[in-house]
Amino acid sequence: MDLNSISDWLQASLRLAAPLMLTSLGAVYTERVGVVNIGMEGMMLAGALVAVAASFLTGNVAVAAICAMAVGGLLGVVHAYLTVSRRGSQLISGAAINFLALGATNFAYARLFATERARVATYPVLSPPGLRSVPFFGPVIFAQPVIVWIALILPFVFAWVLYRTSWGLNIRAVGEHPQAVASAGLSVFRLKYVGVILSGVFAGLGGSALSLAELGYFAPAMTGGRAFVVLAANVVGNWNPIVVAAACVLFGAADAMQLRFQTLGSVIPYQFPLMVPYLLTIAALAGLVGRTAVPKTLGKPYDPETI
Amino acid sequence: MKERESIELPRLGGLVLSGARPILAVILALLVSAGLIWAAGGNPVEAYAALLDGSFGSAAALANTGVRAAPLLLAGFAVGLGFKAGLWNIGGEGQIYLGAATATAVGIIPLPVPGWLHLLLAVMAGFAGGALWALVPAYLRAYRGVNEVCTTLMLNYVAAYFVSWLLHEPTLLAEEGAFYPMSPPILPSAHLPILVKGTSLHAGLILAVVIGVVLYFVLRHTPFGFRTRMVGLNPEAARYAGVGVARHIFLVFLVCGGLGGLAGAGEVLGLKLRLFDFFASGVGYEGLALAILANGNPLGIVVGGVFFGSLKAGASKMQIVTGIEASMALVIQALTVLFVIAIGFGERVRLTRQQQEKSRAEEGAAHGPELHQ
Repeated sequence: MDLNSISDWLQASLRLAAPLMLTSLGAVYTERVGVVNIGMEGMMLAGALVAVAASFLTGNVAVAAICAMAVGGLLGVVHAYLTVSRRGSQLISGAAINFLALGATNFAYARLFATERARVATYPVLSPPGLRSVPFFGPVIFAQPVIVWIALILPFVFAWVLYRTSWGLNIRAVGEHPQAVASAGLSVFRLKYVGVILSGVFAGLGGSALSLAELGYFAPAMTGGRAFVVLAANVVGNWNPIVVAAACVLFGAADAMQLRFQTLGSVIPYQFPLMVPYLLTIAALAGLVGRTAVPKTLGKPYDPETI
Repeated sequence: MKERESIELPRLGGLVLSGARPILAVILALLVSAGLIWAAGGNPVEAYAALLDGSFGSAAALANTGVRAAPLLLAGFAVGLGFKAGLWNIGGEGQIYLGAATATAVGIIPLPVPGWLHLLLAVMAGFAGGALWALVPAYLRAYRGVNEVCTTLMLNYVAAYFVSWLLHEPTLLAEEGAFYPMSPPILPSAHLPILVKGTSLHAGLILAVVIGVVLYFVLRHTPFGFRTRMVGLNPEAARYAGVGVARHIFLVFLVCGGLGGLAGAGEVLGLKLRLFDFFASGVGYEGLALAILANGNPLGIVVGGVFFGSLKAGASKMQIVTGIEASMALVIQALTVLFVIAIGFGERVRLTRQQQEKSRAEEGAAHGPELHQ
């Protein structure tokens, strides 16, 4: 491998990792407040479609991003209502949201874009052309669409909020010991709602990165299990936003590698790099790699009447 | 799950409530979907009429519903049996892939045995493949205390890619020179027999219904079933009663995996007659939804599975007749499940309150005379 193909591969890695990293931001928060959200897959898918539709109608990617975040957040509200207020099963609610999003996006796609697959405005590349031709760093960093930069910066912001603000402490505490949070006079429900809605909002933004970073169109079921890769990154990254984002980059790199295996051909079957995130997660859970500190009440509904 | 089941109910009251909840949810889901169809410019009445016609309107439609229901039932049992033992088997999808792959591996080899034995071996291989795929999560859950939700979920994608690899390698399961990754055809001796001539309704449906009935009786009337429910409701109590909890969980988990494997085996041996790349497309997750609709009850899963199957079968007719896309069926399914969860909580609160009032009344009766003395 020469330098050029390495920088090509890293460029693709970051671009493929961006949707995962953005989605992982909210994923960390929802799991920190004790709510599993496998519905992020559907929220990403809905975000991807709505972003394309909004970009098609307005030609403005900022509006598209906001619409994608809104639809993700809306599904987040549904998940929060069913799992926090009504204490329904988090897995079932998530799975149902996935089906709902799959059915609804297929339906809307057939209505809106079936006849003409219009390419819409995508996230722009902001750096001056001179910087883009800098060897190595040019393609890897500067030639990336702006959403990749956002995905690279936000994990640090989210980590700072989580570890350095008192609100972040509340978020971390609510998944570990909600009763303690309640006896401190804080609303457990409100914190949980915020966590879950954040996961929807950023899954929506992640979905928009999937459809608008480069492609500029929507394809049915285009998320292809990416939210589950994010859940895997959560476990591997121990629910720390920065480490989780790093795991997302690693998984993006594996994805970029399998694409190269497919086009160039290789001794290793291209399916193997795709299995890596999932197998790594199982190994981490089984205690083979490091230690995982699962939020204590993850997956359990909070009943204010219990102590 | 546990809380709901621990509420003591008079037999009849429990039965009525558990049946009423999904029915109400279905009605609400159909109403909301009707709104969506109307908003998309369609006529909901026409659309639903076509849906009904396509699922129950003729012998062919009924057969189609049965074909669609068969894998859903088995995938539902794979989750529902786990529920009873307090297990969340989210790995149905992966178990379906592996069961289909092992059934195919046996089904494409010309064995020097009678046809019925070849079929039996292929079906058993499907069960074994699914059970094998559940082995690691089962071991981790039963003996190492690792939560099974995440491990089974992760293995679903590993399974899909693993089977995809098998179908790309000519030395393994791939048909050479195929335009799409697929296995060679299953030999006729390993085909599940067709039940109604001229349709694709195969014996997989009978297999599924029989397994459902057997499961129902095993759970209710055998020591194995009793231990399973005991482990699910209160593992500590089960341990005191002398049940080997870890071993039992391990065993039940393997059976769950095997049932998922059978769902995959039925699809390749009865309907598709080849193994195709990424063929399962969410049946495992639909099984999960079914199991919650029926609260793990095998007979409830049969009813729910026929409902989901009819939606799938009728949807294509609806698309042809009214132009409303078949994906609307998925929306109806999803809304049904969401409404079931939303309704479930109210019912649970009401039951808890009733129970509290009852125990308070009992306390009052016990202490009442003393107060008046």
